Amino acid sequence: MSKNSFQAALYLLPAGLLFLVFFYWPLLQNAYLSLFSWNMVSPNMKFVGAENFSVIFASPELWKILLNTVLFVVIMLVLNFVLPYIYSFILGHVVTRWSSFYRSALFLPSTLSLAVASILFLWIYNPLAGPLQIILSWFSLESPRWFKEDYLVIFAICTIIGWKVFGYNMIVMLAAMVAVPKELIEAAKLENASNWTIFRKIILPMTSSTAIYVFTITVVFGLQYVLVPVNMLTQGGPDQGSSNLVYIIYQYAFTFFQTGRSAAYAVITMVCYLLFLFVKNKYLEKKVYYEN
Amino acid sequence: MKTNLASWRDEWGYHLLLLIAVFLMLWPIVFMLSTSLKDLNQVFESTLNPLPFPPTFDNYTNVLENFPLLTYIWNTFYIAIIVTLSKALTSVLAAFGFVYYDFKYKETIFNGMLLTFFIPITVLIMPNYLLMAKLGLLDTPYGVMLPSLVDGMGVFLMRQTMRGIPKPLLEAAILDGATPWQILRKVVLPLIKPSVLAISILFFINSWNEYFWPLLILQDKSNLTLPLALQMFISAEGGSEWGVAMAVATLTSLPPLVLYGFCQKFIINTFMQAGVKG
Amino acid sequence: MSNVENNNEYSIIFSGVKKAYGKTVVIENLNLEIKKGERLILLGPSGCGKTTTLRMIAGFEEITSGDLFMDGEQVNDLPPGERNIAMVFQSYALFPHMTVWENITFGLQLQKLPKDEIAKRAKEAMEILHLEGYENKKTHELSGGQKQRVALCRALVKQSPYFLLDEPLSNLDAKLRQKARTELVKLHEMFKPTMVYVTHDQIEAMTVAHRIAVMNQGRIQQIDTPYNIYHHPANTFVAGFIGSPAMNILEAQVLNKCLVIGQSAVKLPQSLREQIAAREKVYFGLRPEACTPAFGDAMIKGKVDFVENTGNLQTATLRLADGASLYVQDSHQDAHLEECTGVDFAWENVCLFDAETGVNLELGGK
Repeated sequence: MSKNSFQAALYLLPAGLLFLVFFYWPLLQNAYLSLFSWNMVSPNMKFVGAENFSVIFASPELWKILLNTVLFVVIMLVLNFVLPYIYSFILGHVVTRWSSFYRSALFLPSTLSLAVASILFLWIYNPLAGPLQIILSWFSLESPRWFKEDYLVIFAICTIIGWKVFGYNMIVMLAAMVAVPKELIEAAKLENASNWTIFRKIILPMTSSTAIYVFTITVVFGLQYVLVPVNMLTQGGPDQGSSNLVYIIYQYAFTFFQTGRSAAYAVITMVCYLLFLFVKNKYLEKKVYYEN
Repeated sequence: MKTNLASWRDEWGYHLLLLIAVFLMLWPIVFMLSTSLKDLNQVFESTLNPLPFPPTFDNYTNVLENFPLLTYIWNTFYIAIIVTLSKALTSVLAAFGFVYYDFKYKETIFNGMLLTFFIPITVLIMPNYLLMAKLGLLDTPYGVMLPSLVDGMGVFLMRQTMRGIPKPLLEAAILDGATPWQILRKVVLPLIKPSVLAISILFFINSWNEYFWPLLILQDKSNLTLPLALQMFISAEGGSEWGVAMAVATLTSLPPLVLYGFCQKFIINTFMQAGVKG
Repeated sequence: MSNVENNNEYSIIFSGVKKAYGKTVVIENLNLEIKKGERLILLGPSGCGKTTTLRMIAGFEEITSGDLFMDGEQVNDLPPGERNIAMVFQSYALFPHMTVWENITFGLQLQKLPKDEIAKRAKEAMEILHLEGYENKKTHELSGGQKQRVALCRALVKQSPYFLLDEPLSNLDAKLRQKARTELVKLHEMFKPTMVYVTHDQIEAMTVAHRIAVMNQGRIQQIDTPYNIYHHPANTFVAGFIGSPAMNILEAQVLNKCLVIGQSAVKLPQSLREQIAAREKVYFGLRPEACTPAFGDAMIKGKVDFVENTGNLQTATLRLADGASLYVQDSHQDAHLEECTGVDFAWENVCLFDAETGVNLELGGK
């Protein structure tokens, strides 16, 4: 509308400046720090070139971390992408009553702090006296030590995230579901199409752009949400069994005080994220039906 | 026309699925509330009973006496309110810049702002921590606030909302000789007020719930926020503090729950908008 | 700043104006002079550039090249807010968060006019537009017609010398539209601003305009009074666009002082032979209401395909021997158009157009 770039710059300045200082400058600084060996306090920073990277790529730790990350992502995709998708369809197009009650109730946990969620589930999963243990004992099952066993710990943490995020993602999906014109579905029902056919032939293609958005935030934010329970409940343990690409950056910086290694992991993680976003934009978005 | 009965017959299976989900979602919250109202015996003897009998407020008085809880509440609130105001302000200003003006690299700059939304927080924490240390802001609320004063999603959502304003409205104001600032204040802001309010509520809840960044910055016990204070009760794992822990958890959850209770429709609508891509 | 002439107070002059979006040229070379106080209507099909032209006057669209003069000053780069223009938008663009009164006085408040002056002007304008009593209503409480009047009122209070309207009546139903049209003309007569009015509705154009500029594909096809536009269309586009049903335009061969239309030969009068000169082919234009149905011998022979009766009129589609069709309109209710065998016409009602350029031969055909 107006081409006065000077004025435009004034409006963008507050946000732009803060973004530059607190988001983009750190990215550069990571790249810089990743070339040094440093412990964050000592006045000496030793230039080591690409050594931090070569050590990381040679260590078995990286592969364990990557495997954990993939596991986290897969489980969270089920809990926070597939299930919300199905539930939003049921809520948007199958049931005819009570849907606003369901919506409100299912959304409720999204408003709570992950710190609260973590402490709640720590108690629920408590293997000695927690409620889940009691329920398991009804079936004469013994409660495993949820946060102390390899793989199981990842599942347990994912359920915390699942509990917190399910409702949010479902609401976002629901927005797309109800945006599908009712006439289309009624037309299909006149042809005696089953719910399954309607889901596959109408809903799936028409909600795909939002689905991709939810898919993306599930992967991108899921790994960040994981930080809170991991840090509160396991500190990455047992034996790095619940660490992942995002958490390891924190560990190296603030637990092991190896700034260079942390920065190198930060660079690697950032590259992975950008790759993911790039691939998503390039390949997934193309197959999507956009209304406009 | 389907009769009521027929629709029940068709749908009961789906309602069952939904009710199971509702149960799984709500049970931990009910459980948190009820445990916080139980005394030590009840916590372990009747763990699953959702109705504490008799309910006791011992856990709450205990917390209030032994911890500077009011200080924590104030700390959390102080940070959340400033973060919220700043995020809302910077988002609205930037969004207006994008909607009202045409300039070179507009899309690139916008995408650059939106991208920050996807940068994982741990990638940023170490450099930002070093910066806060340099500025002498460690262990202060300002160190917590500073990197949280903008929000990429905020800019995105505000731009979406402003784009929804019919162009002739802005043009009519322009013809009347309104300056961009007047247009923002007298035309745009009144029109998008509900969205600004809704997103501010979200900003507030998110900041209130924030755990990770404050954890790094705040050290002194008197500076902590509520989610950080929760951490203190975990060291007693397997111990006997569950009732107290649940009381603090309940207090931490109360403001978001109350806000949600009052502004449910607002919040859900904004969340729903967030998913609609632009 | 260059002065053009002296008598161009409050006139709007486009001089060689070009408008392009990137490589897409919307308006090639626009030359148009809008006189002070006249009602000029920009008429054309959608996408013809009429709205772009209006928005260039308002300053919402940048001018790619050429000059726009208002009141003798070149205003290419003058911001919209400084052009002293009042405009009525198609969607009315009423601010939904303000009352009627706030909407109407919004611009005046921005100009920081004294309060009593604002109140005086607003009251006057509301009285003229019969809006008294609606001051405190929110815009969503108004009917379509009321909204339209509030939009007019908001433009009126500015008392600006330029009055732009972008399809201001298109959101009204047919009955209201007719009334609003008349009111609009009365309103203009009261204050006589220079009025530029965009529409795609030819009836609106014919009834409101002093002059109509018919546009197509970014060019002005003809600019003239409604009478001349109707009776002396400059080319086949204008002839076909104005009138409903449109003017019949038929291919005709020139043979031996005769015109052959659908295998019927009619003798040409001397004056038209001069217009035709050496051409072998022309377009023959005849308005449906200028056709007199013939029973028996006819100037142009044909068979009736179809008759439509709209109560006051009958419209017949005549199929000529070469397959072309011809519309005939007749106001005699008792005529049995089904049985007619062709049409007669008077030569003064005929327009002839060049077969290649489509230009009316009255204008030399070039």
